Amino acid sequence: MKLNKDSRKLSRQLFQSSFADGKLDNTRIAAVVESILSAKPRHYLAILKDYHRLIRLEVEKRHAIIESAAALSAETSRAVENDLKSKYGGDLTTDFRVNADLIGGLRIKIGNDVWDGSVRNRLARLSEEINHV
Amino acid sequence: MSTILQELETKIAGLKTATTKSNTGIVREVGDGVAKIEGLSDVMLNEMIEFPNGEYGLALNLEESEVGCILLGDTASVSEGDEVKTTGRLLQVPVGKALLGRVVNTLGEPIDGKGPVKNEVSYPIEKIAPGIIKRRSVSQPVQTGIMAVDAMIPIGRGQRELIIGDRATGKTTIAIDTIISQARLNKVGEESGAKDFRPLYCIYVGIGQKNSNIARSIAILEAAGAMKYTTIVSAPASDSATNQYLAPFAGAAMGEWFMDHGMDALIVYDDLSKHAVAYRQVSLVLKRPSGREAYPGDVFYLHSRLLERSARVNEQAGGGSLTALPIVETQAGDVSAYIPTNVISITDGQIYLETDLFYQGIRPAISVGLSVSRVGSAAQIKAIKQVAGKVKLDLAQFRELAAFAQFGSDLDAKTKAQLDRGGRIVELFKQPQYSPIPVEQQVAVLWAMQNGYLDEVPTDRVKEYQNKLQDYLGTRKEGVLAKIREKKQVDKEVEEELKAAVNDFKTTFR
Ligand SMILES: Nc1ncnc2c1ncn2[C@@H]1O[C@H](COP(=O)(O)OP(=O)(O)OP(=O)(O)O)[C@@H](O)[C@H]1O
Ligand SMILES: [Mg+2]
Repeated sequence: MKLNKDSRKLSRQLFQSSFADGKLDNTRIAAVVESILSAKPRHYLAILKDYHRLIRLEVEKRHAIIESAAALSAETSRAVENDLKSKYGGDLTTDFRVNADLIGGLRIKIGNDVWDGSVRNRLARLSEEINHV
Repeated sequence: MSTILQELETKIAGLKTATTKSNTGIVREVGDGVAKIEGLSDVMLNEMIEFPNGEYGLALNLEESEVGCILLGDTASVSEGDEVKTTGRLLQVPVGKALLGRVVNTLGEPIDGKGPVKNEVSYPIEKIAPGIIKRRSVSQPVQTGIMAVDAMIPIGRGQRELIIGDRATGKTTIAIDTIISQARLNKVGEESGAKDFRPLYCIYVGIGQKNSNIARSIAILEAAGAMKYTTIVSAPASDSATNQYLAPFAGAAMGEWFMDHGMDALIVYDDLSKHAVAYRQVSLVLKRPSGREAYPGDVFYLHSRLLERSARVNEQAGGGSLTALPIVETQAGDVSAYIPTNVISITDGQIYLETDLFYQGIRPAISVGLSVSRVGSAAQIKAIKQVAGKVKLDLAQFRELAAFAQFGSDLDAKTKAQLDRGGRIVELFKQPQYSPIPVEQQVAVLWAMQNGYLDEVPTDRVKEYQNKLQDYLGTRKEGVLAKIREKKQVDKEVEEELKAAVNDFKTTFR
């Protein structure tokens, strides 16, 4: 669905008013949704969807997915988590996953950025390099 | 063997610092060769985007939280939910001499079945054109071998000369003839071993054409032995609009390599009307706003950015050049349509082909009145200037008079003489396709015309006279032709020899 200019502007304004101290704030979000649903402006469904998307993208920016080939020990997990939090701030949420395809090493995704230190990635790069020899 | 091992070891050592950072996104929507991607917050304009299973796309629309990306190659394998990543690279194509003799697609991949292209270098397909300071004015000729062009609408190296006309008026033929002429000159030049000889390499970019047409052009070039100096970039009508849109830029990159390395190249864009249509299609699926004739507003910028890459650079920058022959198709001779006016205003002149002339049997069907070359005369050799200086004017006047003569019955003697002369010049400039005439032959024939030798020949035998004279000079009087070639002018000595030769010939022609 193509959103018109005004609706897009509105959802963006609502999104910007959903922060408290630079962080997304649950009570504010609830209030925004409530006000849209009661006022029902033109295209309110589309606006709500766009608002939801913006919030989702923002949440993803503050969420780390840590993949490893085998489950990490509690100790290692904690170390990784503390390390990430010290870099990205205490409100970062984490999600540890096991992905055997990685063969070894870690792959961390935060928002759009991916740091890939897995063996699978190294092999892929090696094979690319060799193809260029 | 050991060097390969060493290389491998250094590569592996390099991988130890092995964590890579990349920027990713998710495909939200895909269709019509375009993918809408969410994420990719660090993407650059025109950056290559890597899809799973090794497909690539180009980021063209950067919006606040979405990126519009055109897909290259196999578009069917991309689906919603795929994770993609940035590569930090721009689209590149192979460049260099390894491409000569090859037929490649927009991505520079060979499609002629002659194995991989063994290039050492690649160039990004979009590049900033050389600036004013680096440029130099045009001063060396491109000998097209088409007498009407070389005599009246001369083209210089580094120039951009538009070939424009309705469908099937011989536009492609002019370009192909020019390429064949270069191949012959290159061959002669290389064999002569002259140190200051500068070969002219050719690139033919076929955009949105029928496969059969491109195959025909290739076959003609092959038969004329011209493929050796030529690269063909083919994006036929059956290719995606994306590939058709990118093909001229890929060709320009290949041409730029020659220019950057102090060499000369010529590039044909056949044709930019179809290119504009492909770009319109890409823009519409990207939901960009459209303007006049539904073309996107930046189609002018698209073509000026492409044609600005043709230039002649100065000695400090290597002295190379890239000449462009863009082709534009008009509808019913209308040059005031959007794309024709755009391209006319960007180029340094145009060769205008007319349907009427074509069907009157005047081929190449060049309209003298509407064709110009704004910079090429600086590049004409002196000999041609001497013998063809007035021809264009004569011919334009003839066309005018001929139109009047249709109505008037009695003409005064002067007008009649002008008409006769014009009729003979028209005959001289008729030229069959794929048979370029060397410049020294052109000089000799035009000299004979200027000095009244043709006045005694009936108009319908002028062509026969010309052919026989050329044969005669080529086989019996090679000496005077060689002198014209070397001196590049008609001085006393050449004049005397020409006179003797043509008089000799006259006795044999009846
Ligand atoms: N100088 C010539 N003498 C004789 N025939 C010619 C000459 N030039 C072109 N032709 C013929 O005219 C036809 C059209 O030529 P050509 O394909 O070059 O035109 P075009 O303008 O490029 O056409 P299109 O619009 O299909 O691209 C061809 O069959 C070609 O053989
Ligand atoms: Mg054509």
